[in-house]
Amino acid sequence: MPLAQSVKTTTPAVIRLAKLGKTIDDRPILRELDFEVASGEFVAILGSNGAGKSTLLKILATLTPPSSGELHLFDQKIDRTTASIRARIGMIGHQSMLYGELTAKENLHFFAKLYGVKSPSSRANEMLQTVGLLDRADDPVKAFSRGMTQRVAIARALLHDPQLLLADEPFAGLDEASSRSLEGLLSLLNQSGKTIVLVNHDVRQTLALARRVMVLRAGRKVIDALAGELTVEIVLDAMNGAVLARPVGADIGADVRPEGPVQ
Amino acid sequence: MTPAIRQFITLIGKDLRIEARSRQTLGLVVVLGLLIIVVLGLGLGVQNNVPGVSATAVLWVAYLFSGVLCFEKTMAVERSDGVLSGLLMAPMDRGVIYLAKLTSNLILVFAVAMVVTPAGVLFFGFDLSAAPLTFATIMGLSIIGFTSVGTLFSAIVSSTRLQGGLLAMMVFPITLPLVIASTQMMVQTFRDRNPVGVSSLGILFAFDLIFLTASWLVFEFVLEP
Amino acid sequence: MLRINRTLAWGYWLITAAAFELGLFLILDYAPVEKSMGLVQKNFYVHLPSAICTFLAFLVNFVACIGYLSTRKDWWDDLADATARVGVLLCSVVLITGMIWGKTAWGQWWTWSPRLTFSLVLWLLYVVYLMVRSSVESGQRRALLGAVYGIIAFLDVPLVWLSVKLMPDIHPTSIELAPAMKVTLAYWFLPVTLLSLGLIVARYRSNVRSRAVKHDAQVDPAQPVGFTLAGGKLS
Repeated sequence: MPLAQSVKTTTPAVIRLAKLGKTIDDRPILRELDFEVASGEFVAILGSNGAGKSTLLKILATLTPPSSGELHLFDQKIDRTTASIRARIGMIGHQSMLYGELTAKENLHFFAKLYGVKSPSSRANEMLQTVGLLDRADDPVKAFSRGMTQRVAIARALLHDPQLLLADEPFAGLDEASSRSLEGLLSLLNQSGKTIVLVNHDVRQTLALARRVMVLRAGRKVIDALAGELTVEIVLDAMNGAVLARPVGADIGADVRPEGPVQ
Repeated sequence: MTPAIRQFITLIGKDLRIEARSRQTLGLVVVLGLLIIVVLGLGLGVQNNVPGVSATAVLWVAYLFSGVLCFEKTMAVERSDGVLSGLLMAPMDRGVIYLAKLTSNLILVFAVAMVVTPAGVLFFGFDLSAAPLTFATIMGLSIIGFTSVGTLFSAIVSSTRLQGGLLAMMVFPITLPLVIASTQMMVQTFRDRNPVGVSSLGILFAFDLIFLTASWLVFEFVLEP
Repeated sequence: MLRINRTLAWGYWLITAAAFELGLFLILDYAPVEKSMGLVQKNFYVHLPSAICTFLAFLVNFVACIGYLSTRKDWWDDLADATARVGVLLCSVVLITGMIWGKTAWGQWWTWSPRLTFSLVLWLLYVVYLMVRSSVESGQRRALLGAVYGIIAFLDVPLVWLSVKLMPDIHPTSIELAPAMKVTLAYWFLPVTLLSLGLIVARYRSNVRSRAVKHDAQVDPAQPVGFTLAGGKLS
């Protein structure tokens, strides 16, 4: 049974892609992607540079439209007019998406108001508390270290209590302690029912953290399996395009029913 | 308060707060405007008694250059650290981003006009006493018109790598009808002492209406990251 | 297919050249010389059709810009580029013939008359259009930004027209046209239009071709091999 096969699930799908493609300047970045992500899943996307991971995440965040195929989020087809669905998505990106001139509190307050969060001021304080930066609330973000900025960015992503959290290489530039802390936070969020899609670089970390892993190569999905089925070698080989026939463990899991042969 | 209005006010508040905090844009733009007036004054040989109708020319040059600089800087704020993506991810109509940025720009440009206009009047000895309200209306409508286009184009330019004089190059020809119309109206009012016709003012209104609407509609296409 | 196209193209340009020749004959031997202005008045036969074609080219550009924004199909962008280039070319002709007229009629190369000013602003608007396009590297981005600017620029045209009408027109340019002159003027629309259309189509096809070449040059990396598991119980 091929590993590139879509892992289909029985619980309602938060994300559903059908033959999704993205071309930028006549270069195909993503080709014919099909997969579903169910509510409460923790999915990681791996791939070498240029494989299309960041682009895929941007599309999931509704920041850019696909060139072909369809995207469904929360059972709604996404096109130009679906602004309200963004209230259920939170994103942590490469960049902080924060105003350097404003303080941490002001940034969070601003975004809370944009999202229509009730009592934005106290919610901002609450989130600052959660990420442990309440004492630096009134310092401008431009004075923060990378780790601290990332924490404020995480607070911003969670302000409106999104059901789907997208994270694009959030560990980049973080020290050991901050990384561990973020790993813990992501696990906690997933356990509390949030769906998480994580794009990451570190294969080992990803296999330990996520439950389901997809590997992209040249815009196509080459692996879509549970983390337990994979090893670092398998993933690296898939990222780099080797053919491998090697026995790996059997059952994927009782609640998962893979379908049909891959083409 | 509908969400859109709340978001609109929030965005403007953010722009003004950042401006007050960094104090970068306003000071720079005001000083640039003043410098332009001075250069023109010396260059035109004001002491040789330049006629008062050149008031619009002098002021236009000052407004256009300082205005373009202003738009570049307010849009540059959104491009740093990917904040624009943060805005685009909010459940918000893209048009609201445009209107808010337009309003912030208008506030700044009018603030500059408040300084530069009296300076121009002073240095050039313009006599606006004949019809000060007409003058204010003409320049006010013109500033709204050119800011609406400038805001749209600043979003375009900030997304390309080549910035330089690109924004100025795009804004200037589009605003020429405003320059032409306002100058002719000033000539009519101050030299010929004719009251300004409704049709002439109509051109300014039409410009503002058309370009505000068009820019607002088209803005979201410009913003895709 | 290419053969037929080439023959068609050659035929088309031959016809266009012949049309110009006939037009020149009409100007030089058929239409009478205008009494007050003399020979130079004859550039009006080129001036007016060029002006109309300029406007039509920019009108098509406007439609192409809207077309691109709504459909995102590349050929709209190719059309927009072609019409803008030809439009700028034609507008240059309008400006130059207008200036020659002005020099002969009133002794000045440039006057800020409404018509000349209008031509100049139009020219500037679309030269900037071409510059905006050339300053963007990314093809998709260039098409998008070109479309936005193109729409704004065209919406500006009636406003420019209205505003220049406010300017004093010290040199009114209406002239009496004898019947033979009217015929010549009407005829001259043919060669100018043929030339404009030919140039637009040629440039359009060249754009489409270079886009196709670029597309083919994108090497499709070998299909990544999804590897299979030997053994295991996944079915």
